[in-house]
Amino acid sequence: MSFKFLKTIAKSFALVAFFAGTSFAFTEGTDYVKLAKPIPNAQGTLIKVFSYDCPFCYKYDKKITPNLVPKLPKDLTFRPFHLKTKGKYGVQGSELFAVLLLKDQKAGLSDRDLYGPKSLLKKAKMAYYTAYHDKKERWDSGPDAYLKTGLDAVGMTRAEFDKAKTDPKVKALLKEWDASYDVAKVQGVPGFVVNGKYLIMTKSITSIDGMLKLINELKTK
Amino acid sequence: MKLSEMIGNFRSDPVGSISQWQDKRFLWIFMAALSLFMVILAHSVFQVWLYMRPCEQCVYIRLAFFAMAFGGIVAAIKPSNPALKIVGYLFAIWGSFKGVLYSIKLDKIHHAAHSEDIFGVQGCSPEPTFPFHLPLDKWSPEWFKPTGDCGYDNPIIPDGAQLSSLQKAITDFYSEGWYLWPPAHFMNMAQCTVITFGVILLFLLVAAVCWIVTLVRKRQSAAHEETSGYTGKLA
Repeated sequence: MSFKFLKTIAKSFALVAFFAGTSFAFTEGTDYVKLAKPIPNAQGTLIKVFSYDCPFCYKYDKKITPNLVPKLPKDLTFRPFHLKTKGKYGVQGSELFAVLLLKDQKAGLSDRDLYGPKSLLKKAKMAYYTAYHDKKERWDSGPDAYLKTGLDAVGMTRAEFDKAKTDPKVKALLKEWDASYDVAKVQGVPGFVVNGKYLIMTKSITSIDGMLKLINELKTK
Repeated sequence: MKLSEMIGNFRSDPVGSISQWQDKRFLWIFMAALSLFMVILAHSVFQVWLYMRPCEQCVYIRLAFFAMAFGGIVAAIKPSNPALKIVGYLFAIWGSFKGVLYSIKLDKIHHAAHSEDIFGVQGCSPEPTFPFHLPLDKWSPEWFKPTGDCGYDNPIIPDGAQLSSLQKAITDFYSEGWYLWPPAHFMNMAQCTVITFGVILLFLLVAAVCWIVTLVRKRQSAAHEETSGYTGKLA
């Protein structure tokens, strides 16, 4: 009798799992949250909010995001947003990343190439990640030392950078990135936002494929 | 009271004995002292002296210890006073319970940060959110502002800091982060605090239950005496 009982339980579990797999399995509040303050002009984008000063951002940029971005649905543009309020040099980091992102775009790199070998943004970002997280560099001597790490990684001079950051396009991009703060406040960084409205709960991500499924569902919402 | 006498009492009436113990100051003071010791050790020794910066969960754990210390001190003022003791229990049970939860979360983050399996946890918030929205990090940044990275507690020595030979030796010993026994990576900080909080929580719950049971028993026997006295008169 007990065996029959177990079988019934197993069957009902299988049934639940089957329906969970086929129907919309994602729920608001556990898998994603709707942002109280949506990011403006972000329809058709996957925004990733990150900070050089965050160990999980480094982990995601090593293992997850480079594998995720090429598989994103075609009608979704990938956009990295650097959070300037985290880390001692968050502001300087944002300025440099904004300059480099625009430089990448000018060089003809698409959003899918931002994890490719040609991306200057990627080079600088990785230089900061390894310096900060692997070598425990904290640039105590000041912002000049901090900037040098990134500039050296991409072969840019300080004069070039100082000139480039006065570009109104850089300023406009930095202004857009200011929206990062309200996203990061919800559950920390990295933060992935679909269409500027739906923030993925990182805690509920269990695989890249699962994440893609969720992104696909959220983009049609 | 002699130890043998205590053991004898405990054997004949465990609930009553525990109830008696929590009416005394000693255990409350002990819990408060242990909690304060943990926080001061974390802050003054590991954070200030050895440059191991606290992360978000670590500052929440500090709050949990402070709540327990506060509860212990309030109850120790006069443990036989029920009002003081209830306040003591509330703070101490709340603190140790939250402490267990914070520590489990920190352990998960620690595991994710130190392995390839990063799914299932989220990063640290750039700004801590304390219970009841207390702005503790604004009131006392030295104690409650997270300055470390999520899941990491390695010493980070500022450029130009002159370390004494003792500081050098200890920071080298903990260079891979805080462990009860660093060379073997045996028991990280979260695992140690979860045990501390868990044991204290267990003791508190047992003590509270014994206290309540004794109170109920006393009331019942008082009521019983009253009725038997009444029937005695009638007869």
